Amino acid sequence: MADASATTMARAGAESRLTRARRFWSAAPSAFRIGAIILAIHILLALIGWVWTPYDYVARVGIPLSGMSWEHPFGIDQNARDIFSRVLYGGHIVILLSVSGTLLGVVVGAALGLTSGYLGGWFDEAMMRLFDAFNSIPFLVLALLASAVAGPVASGEPLLLVGVVALVYAPRVGRIARGAAQTVAIQDYVMVARLRRERVRDVVRREILPNCSGPLLVEFALRAGYAPVLIGSLGFLGFGVRAPLPEWGRMIAENRNLIFTTPEALLAPGIALATLVVGLNLFTDGIARLIGRSTPHAGA
Amino acid sequence: MAQAAHQSDTTSVVASIRDVGLAYWQNQTWNDVLHKVHLDVHAGEIVGLVGESGCGKSSLSLLLMGYRHPAAKVRSGEIWFGGRDLLAMSEAELADIRGNRIGFVPQNPTTALNPGMRVGAQIAEVLRVHGRTGGGEAVTARIVELFNDVGLPEPRALMRRYPHQLSGGQQQRVTIAMALACDPDLVVLDEPTTGLDVTTQEQIILLLKRLRSRHGTAMLYVTHDLGVLSELADRISVMYAGHLVESAPTEVLFDHPRHPYTRGLIGSIPRIDGRRPRDGRLTGYLDRREIPPGCPFQPRCPLADDRCAVEPQELAAFAPGHEVACRHADAVSPLVLDDGGVRPERGDSAILLEVENLDLRYGQKSLYQRLVPSALPPVVVRDVSFTIGEAEVVALVGESGSGKSTIARAISGLLPPIGGRIALRGSELAGDIGARSQDVVRRIQFIFQNPDASLNPRQSVGRSLARPIEVFFDRSHGVPRDLAERALDEVMLTADYAGRYPDQLSGGERQRIAIARALVAEPDLLLCDEVLSALDVSVQANVLDLLERLRRETSVAMLFISHDLAVVRRLADRVCVLYHGQMMQVGPVEAVFEPPFHPYTLTLLMSLPGSHLRPGQPVARSEPTRAPEPQGCAFAGRCPWQPDERCYTQPPPLHITDRDVAIRCHLPLADLSNLAGADGSLSTHATQTSQAGQTP
Repeated sequence: MADASATTMARAGAESRLTRARRFWSAAPSAFRIGAIILAIHILLALIGWVWTPYDYVARVGIPLSGMSWEHPFGIDQNARDIFSRVLYGGHIVILLSVSGTLLGVVVGAALGLTSGYLGGWFDEAMMRLFDAFNSIPFLVLALLASAVAGPVASGEPLLLVGVVALVYAPRVGRIARGAAQTVAIQDYVMVARLRRERVRDVVRREILPNCSGPLLVEFALRAGYAPVLIGSLGFLGFGVRAPLPEWGRMIAENRNLIFTTPEALLAPGIALATLVVGLNLFTDGIARLIGRSTPHAGA
Repeated sequence: MAQAAHQSDTTSVVASIRDVGLAYWQNQTWNDVLHKVHLDVHAGEIVGLVGESGCGKSSLSLLLMGYRHPAAKVRSGEIWFGGRDLLAMSEAELADIRGNRIGFVPQNPTTALNPGMRVGAQIAEVLRVHGRTGGGEAVTARIVELFNDVGLPEPRALMRRYPHQLSGGQQQRVTIAMALACDPDLVVLDEPTTGLDVTTQEQIILLLKRLRSRHGTAMLYVTHDLGVLSELADRISVMYAGHLVESAPTEVLFDHPRHPYTRGLIGSIPRIDGRRPRDGRLTGYLDRREIPPGCPFQPRCPLADDRCAVEPQELAAFAPGHEVACRHADAVSPLVLDDGGVRPERGDSAILLEVENLDLRYGQKSLYQRLVPSALPPVVVRDVSFTIGEAEVVALVGESGSGKSTIARAISGLLPPIGGRIALRGSELAGDIGARSQDVVRRIQFIFQNPDASLNPRQSVGRSLARPIEVFFDRSHGVPRDLAERALDEVMLTADYAGRYPDQLSGGERQRIAIARALVAEPDLLLCDEVLSALDVSVQANVLDLLERLRRETSVAMLFISHDLAVVRRLADRVCVLYHGQMMQVGPVEAVFEPPFHPYTLTLLMSLPGSHLRPGQPVARSEPTRAPEPQGCAFAGRCPWQPDERCYTQPPPLHITDRDVAIRCHLPLADLSNLAGADGSLSTHATQTSQAGQTP
């Protein structure tokens, strides 16, 4: 009896969760729905590519630039490697680098920005000038500078790429976080915490951060949408991951000399990069609208 | 039968609201905010519409102006005005009536007046739109006449001012002048005095009374404050959750309320004579999700039975002119007042907090201000001294800008003083909270005015209550559950509140949580900054009960900041009266409410609803004639009793009476004893007229 009722209740719970999810799905903006589908396909392909590809991504499998065929749907590149396998394998690299770089940038930017907005005064002043300085350098120049400073040994390390993305994003996120923190910092509950003589770290973590999570989530989503472009650009310019690893931007760069003779070599990485960026942007735009705050589409 | 009563004298009816039902589109459904509201306003009559926040009174007043909210739908009914139905009119037809035949006075004059336009031009605009005037000189003459009517000094000069150059009281007089500009038949006033200081409120009410007797304009006065209506209204309608529950002439309503809600509402008003009703206090709060199909008040009603929940109650004549929507109207007895019980005698307790010659000013000195002393921000608190004994409740009383909250901020360590000292149990406190020891910080706890802003919306109640324990008692790894439960019990909330979030609580519950959060630190001193003023009347009464119980049962001392003298009378042991950062009068609560008075204290007492001015008694000016010098008496510019020039230039001497009251005033003590009249007693015959005879 008790078991039976427990099962029915569990089923009722599961059902209600399902219906709730269905209602959420139908009420969500269509941009969100399309973006979510594209993103889901991308993640699925990236997961497949991580564990299995038709050919090894460094293996020489046939005659270079021999065009599309059933065995090699997107052709063979100039180094005789299967492009489809390389694109498939590269998926998880691009997604991982983008997400972790954005995450690091948001965490650092939020920590500095929230503290700055809460404290105000000279700390805020110094922080803002620093952010201004970083924001005034075009992001590609900043990224190249950072790679150059890191030197030839570190160049091409995935960790460096994560750091570069974070460096570009942190000051931009910091400004948003600071603005959000300023409106929270004047609330009485923050005053109550100050009257307990809480440490700055505790006030920011317990009182400010939870009340700024909306704008920060939107910020994360929007920045993540542009991160593949940034990584792709770096790869295209030769500052991406090291040679045999099939990062999409780098693949486009490798084959760009052949764009007039065998354009199909560029097709797969190009489509992959474009759909990922479009999917991410639709998805994050939907999230922004769901959180109830239209965010200006600031550049990457 | 209600219908018949209304139709008997339709000739004099200015506006007739008949069976109006209104719904708002919220959360994908239509929610009813007004149910079959039936209300007549007769010529020359002031009708009061009273109810707590969210009861629909503002929706009704806006509907009467012909305002249709985009998300609102009129379900039923008509509003007859001038022989036509306002609800059936087009926007263009309504525009002819609004501001012309029906005037409107909004709650907040600061946002209602255009900040970029001279006030004279704003009134001229109303006159012009309704084609009321000929040439320019006629307009000016009309505005001068209006400004004289509403008691604004020097109309010709004032016309040329911008709204920000006027005080709040003057701004409200301008909006009243605007409402009267076209000699309307009806003026709708939506909480016109709520944002104003008590003395200003009193003057606006006197003005409205005068205007009514001079022009015979009918008024609908919408408010949450029954006390104000007792002075002003001829008839009062009480609204609850969109239903009119009672409607009666003012005297009848106060003497013999026939609806349990009305009775509770009257009982909730703090009285200046310190007495309180024996029973029938309102409990709970209006929750629109819990309204049964029958009587909306059923969940909170002491007389309710099961039938109340299912049988709709409609206004029905109880006596001529008195309508009630209650099955148990016969069983509702008049309020019986007790004298509030014997106050526990407090012997001379040891001194807990000592404030001596405190000077405060806002902001920090910048380098520029250090070099140029005249650029310093003005001193907001000057030479204030008082003490708080152990377990004693000391009230700081004064109007806005008197520096009450600033003093509390200084005691809590948020605003370092520029002069004077603050000492806790004899040891001087550092000015800045960062320099105080954790133990001192724990002993002084602050409770804020607005409970909506003082709880972190992303923290559960349990979390909010546990944090002070972690910080002050060094329990970094989890706080025992029962500590939070005990804290909730202390403020009469059940343990399951620990899992809730602030948006699931009512205003009164939030304020209780804020009090509980202060109490878990086991403080010696609570700084209560206007903790009641953001709450509804019935909720306020409950929180006041709680504070009173704390005062009785615990040994925590309080600095209770309030502008409400009636609340102060109930709660405080001693009272300090402040005006513009200067101490005017200090003394035990009983003695402060009896002569001798400081002129400002008397002014405050006279402005309470129900206190009656004797003929010929001087009244304080609403605006200072000229600013006194810093060391002069701050009240000099407004004081009607000032003896001479000394008031402006010299610090007033300190008188100490035999009842331990300290008064700073240039008048001799004997004169101060006679301020309120020859017999020396103030007629604070309070709102409830029937009990006036028994008032001590």
